[in-house]
Amino acid sequence: MAVEAQIPYQEALDVHHPHSWLTRYWFSQDHKVIAIQYGITAIGVGLVALVLSGMMRLQLGFPDSFDFIDPEAYYQFITMHGMIMVIYLLTALLLGGFGNYLVPLMCGARDMVFPFVNMISYHVYFASVLILLASYFVPGGPTGAGWTLYPPQAILTGTPGVDWGILTMLVSLAVFIVAFTMGGLNYVTTILQARTRGMSLMRMPLSIWGIFMATVLGLLAFPALFVSAVMMILDKTIGTSFFMPAISSLGEQLDYSGGSPLLFQHLFWFFGHPEVYIVALPAFGIVSDLISTHARKNIFGYRMMVWAIVAIGVLSFIVWAHHMYVSGMHPYFGFFFATTTLIIAVPTAIKVYNWTLTLLRANIHMTVPMLFSIAFVITFVVGGLTGLFLGNVIVDVPLSDTYFVVAHFHMVMGVSPILVIFGAIYHWYPKMTGKMLDDRIGQVHFWITFLGTYAIYYPMHYLGFVGVPRRYFANGEMAIIDESVLLLNQGITIAALIVGVAQILFIWNLIYSYYRGRDSGPNPWKATTLEWQTPETPPRHGNWESTLPTVHRWAYDYSVPGAKDDFIPQSEPPGGEHEGSART
Amino acid sequence: MIVAIMLFIIVIGSLVFNFLSPWWFTEIASNWGGIDFAVFVTFWICGVAFVLIGLFMVYTTWKYRRREGQTAVYEPENKRLEWILTILTTIGVVGMLAPGLLVWDDYVNVPPQAREVEIVGQQWSWSYRLPGEDGILGTVDAKLISVDNPFGLDPEDPDGQDDILIEREALHLPIDRPVKALLRSKDVLHDFYVPQFRAKMDLVPGMITYMWFTPTRVGTYEVLCAELCGIGHHTMRGTVVVDTQEDYDTWLDGQQTYAQISTRPQGDPIAGQATYAVCAACHGPAGEGLVALNAPKLSGQDEWYLRHQILAYKQGLRGVHEEDTYGKEMAPMVATLFDAATTENVIAYIRSLPDDPAPVTIDGNADRGANLYSGCTVCHGSDGGGSHGTFAPRLAGMTDWYLARQLQNFRAGIRGSHPMDNLGKQMGLMSKQLGDDDAINDVVAYINTMSTRMTQTAMRQTIDDRGETDGG
Amino acid sequence: MAEATSTQRLQLVEDWSADVAVFKGVPWGKAMMWIFLLSDTFIFTSFLTGYMTVRMTTAEPWPNPSEVFALDAFGVPVPLLLIAIMTFILISSSGTMAMAVNMGYRRKRKAAAVLMIVTAIFGASFVGMQMFEWTKLIVDEGVRPWSNPMGASQFGACFFMITGFHGLHVSAGVVYLAIVATRVWRGRYEEKGYDIVEITGLYWHFVDLVWVFIFAFFYLW
Repeated sequence: MAVEAQIPYQEALDVHHPHSWLTRYWFSQDHKVIAIQYGITAIGVGLVALVLSGMMRLQLGFPDSFDFIDPEAYYQFITMHGMIMVIYLLTALLLGGFGNYLVPLMCGARDMVFPFVNMISYHVYFASVLILLASYFVPGGPTGAGWTLYPPQAILTGTPGVDWGILTMLVSLAVFIVAFTMGGLNYVTTILQARTRGMSLMRMPLSIWGIFMATVLGLLAFPALFVSAVMMILDKTIGTSFFMPAISSLGEQLDYSGGSPLLFQHLFWFFGHPEVYIVALPAFGIVSDLISTHARKNIFGYRMMVWAIVAIGVLSFIVWAHHMYVSGMHPYFGFFFATTTLIIAVPTAIKVYNWTLTLLRANIHMTVPMLFSIAFVITFVVGGLTGLFLGNVIVDVPLSDTYFVVAHFHMVMGVSPILVIFGAIYHWYPKMTGKMLDDRIGQVHFWITFLGTYAIYYPMHYLGFVGVPRRYFANGEMAIIDESVLLLNQGITIAALIVGVAQILFIWNLIYSYYRGRDSGPNPWKATTLEWQTPETPPRHGNWESTLPTVHRWAYDYSVPGAKDDFIPQSEPPGGEHEGSART
Repeated sequence: MIVAIMLFIIVIGSLVFNFLSPWWFTEIASNWGGIDFAVFVTFWICGVAFVLIGLFMVYTTWKYRRREGQTAVYEPENKRLEWILTILTTIGVVGMLAPGLLVWDDYVNVPPQAREVEIVGQQWSWSYRLPGEDGILGTVDAKLISVDNPFGLDPEDPDGQDDILIEREALHLPIDRPVKALLRSKDVLHDFYVPQFRAKMDLVPGMITYMWFTPTRVGTYEVLCAELCGIGHHTMRGTVVVDTQEDYDTWLDGQQTYAQISTRPQGDPIAGQATYAVCAACHGPAGEGLVALNAPKLSGQDEWYLRHQILAYKQGLRGVHEEDTYGKEMAPMVATLFDAATTENVIAYIRSLPDDPAPVTIDGNADRGANLYSGCTVCHGSDGGGSHGTFAPRLAGMTDWYLARQLQNFRAGIRGSHPMDNLGKQMGLMSKQLGDDDAINDVVAYINTMSTRMTQTAMRQTIDDRGETDGG
Repeated sequence: MAEATSTQRLQLVEDWSADVAVFKGVPWGKAMMWIFLLSDTFIFTSFLTGYMTVRMTTAEPWPNPSEVFALDAFGVPVPLLLIAIMTFILISSSGTMAMAVNMGYRRKRKAAAVLMIVTAIFGASFVGMQMFEWTKLIVDEGVRPWSNPMGASQFGACFFMITGFHGLHVSAGVVYLAIVATRVWRGRYEEKGYDIVEITGLYWHFVDLVWVFIFAFFYLW
């Protein structure tokens, strides 16, 4: 094919400029507006999930005290909380939000390669959120099957929301997957094919690497969830038996036969484990950039970091059954999956070392994003190490389905990515709005959130050691526990409520600083990556002037010896303004 | 600076919490010390890693916090260091994985001398089946499961005839004898979990899973369900008793086989009438109940429930709590009056008595009660008719003051608090939702509205049946 | 220069990670289609894995496909007759599609458009025959997604679900082909080039390829 035929850069991209309020803010094709739409929707629905978690904690800390929480409501809380947090908040915010915002800017593109598809992606996502929330308004309320939605229980009497809730949930997931696919194809294609001159893959900021790998994982993992959702909808509505063996439910023989409940679990976790990394990898990438920028030091071992992201992504497809050690699958799978799972610990550990080694001999600015990054590392260390317990098949046996699991996954894929998200919002808010977020509110918000979440989840591991099972509406009289467990639960609940309420500070900060915040200027953190080098802040539609920036160096030229400033932007040619003439 | 201090506090605080924590594994009661060892190894390797990384971060955030005139070092990578760290990590990982896999190998390979026990889960109770003297469990089929054949045993299979069936009661196991537990579920996923045994495995409908262990400590242990199985998940408790061989043999002798249960003689209502004369003094000649004597209505109650309660009194699971005044009155009556045959006869007689709805004595807000009742529906049915499948007795049309009192007793732990009374415990946990006596009265008021509806449905059913017969 | 050190050693990495585009000369649309098809492969793989799993777990006998899918030709039941015709048609359509792509790059836009329309007609007739087959199974043989008279209920469930999902892909492809063919005919791509024909072709070949697998797993197993 003739070289002339290709459009190598987005230089010539015909940006479709908006003409009215509706096309500017609602049906916008600008990746930055779409990113903010994703962000606001995800945070909004995330607040719903936060309230639900507060209600769960009320019941666990103070059982029998609240009339409105019965087992039915409780199991609906846990299901909706889990699903919203994992899919509709974390996945949507990290990829739909940060992915959309950062990919074109950091790669030096004008927009995503297919802005129209990108716009549709958001609106389909919005529809999926509406369908999900509709669960609360259908007869019987939302499903209470747990976020894993295991059949047969998910579609049988005895589980709340079995008439409508489960269907709205499954349909919403299918719609979400369509939205994600449309967005994801855009991110991947943009990163692969539409970077600016000089931006080689090995010069990309780690944020983009994380988002790229996570999106690839999503595109390959969500199909399994899609298929299992379709099959379960069929089982529920027209009585097929994909996941349903012969069953007598509550004393009555049902018409099912011959299906396999384990098939669902395999499909679900074939999606579900990569999903953990869909959430974690963008967070890994983003936090690398935050640490490097605010420590004024290059990220340590960049190439190792990239290979670790790739290795984790690939390995994440062959570890799924570590969620199923005691599920009744063939026990010999345990040997294989325990081995692969513990192998994945090695690249993950390398990432942790490299973050901490980046701090070594750095010049750490204790800004709010840096605080959140440090908090992320320590939280992730706890969550990652407890993952070694659960990944090691025999150690998982006494701990699975106990509060140890709850504490582990909240540490590793709940709190950790959320801390990164907070840090990232404090970091990029100036670029999005041109205003700084208020530092003092940020500090208070940080300390309550960090110490509070640690106080919630660190002690919770010990409930798991005792053997307290998870997903219990109430423990009641249980032989293995005494009063002290209730006391611990009360402590955890109080910490959780404080952390929950403290998020008002964050929301307030977002709103307050938008109107009253200090002007940030184009590059308040003195960062090197391309998004800080845009001609305008916030960047206008099309991001760059008539020519795209050219990249001359990797993303981490901080404190280069002999340079004039302690950072040299990626787009600066050798001997430029920040580097000075000392080095060429 | 404050960051370094806080990180230090977190690392040290975590250590202090660990050493002062009263929360740790329960004392082990099985052969799975290997599991505890694997946890121990993992815990210490991970613990050391946590402290090292934590303290390293304390050091860096302290030493390299922003200061005047300080610049960061430019250090893209350090291959040697990265390799050393990778190798160290790999060694740590192998150190955890290797012992873990060895124990897992033990865990999945059942020793040949292990004796089989079948554990059957359903929403929300545990039942068990032991092979009889032939040592072989009879074949079962999920399609055969019914009220009369709760285990789904094939009646034609000779191997199944001597199988010992333990429905919803405690399972006894002899000490120091390896057990291979075959796990089967009738409805949804469950997980057989005795924390002291460490072992755990899901029950999956449509397949039989297994695990094995050797009980090593005499005692009574609570069985928990560890896989979400619907709204009664937290109430799905059971009991395992580890006995000495002698105690075990005694217990085993008292259990009934499938053949015995399926050929249980029909009760004789005529013979039962004589025995019932004693009961009539309190429960009324027609089993209608007498509020003055605190005796509930019996007529119309399901026969399995009557049998089960008589048994509960006899075994001392009910009517033993100090505050259970009326239960304590009933207990000696049961003890003196009933053996197995008279029990069946009396039940047969009670079943022959006319079933008129009991009079309404409780006043409450039935609308509010309807909301509260939504949690009861799954087991007791939306018509309050009860279900043998969930072991929930009939409520509609029974004496309402009695329902209210029992709910109060359940909630206060006066009934259902015996450690072996798993069904009572279940109701106890569920009754906790009813916050106060008003709530109880409201629910009972709602149940009262059902009795009329129930009669109507029953009549319509009869008419329908007749219509069908006529048509055929 | 410090930043240059990071890519010097591995030639392969350097090639692959060059700036601007990983796949030189590949238009965005084509790259996106490839990635989409990769994702779609996982959907069909999951469907087929699910089908194989339930076929193995179900206790009841699996209906014999060569009997179920037989068609009476002149009073003689010929096993898999209809399916053979359908498969033949779909594979032929891949041929016409390939010719259309060729014509597109040779800038014979009318020929390309005609060939695409032929492909679409093949596709539509495939869907038509599939509808005929469904009707025959449902009406004549009493196969339902939840049960069938020949054996395991999963037979109907898997069959309708997977062929239905594939049929939707073919139908979408027919619409897609028709739209692109019209635009090609009108000369809309004279300036941009005829990559779009190849992109459409990628999708169409993929749908054919999936059919080969469905054919093998469903009708021949």
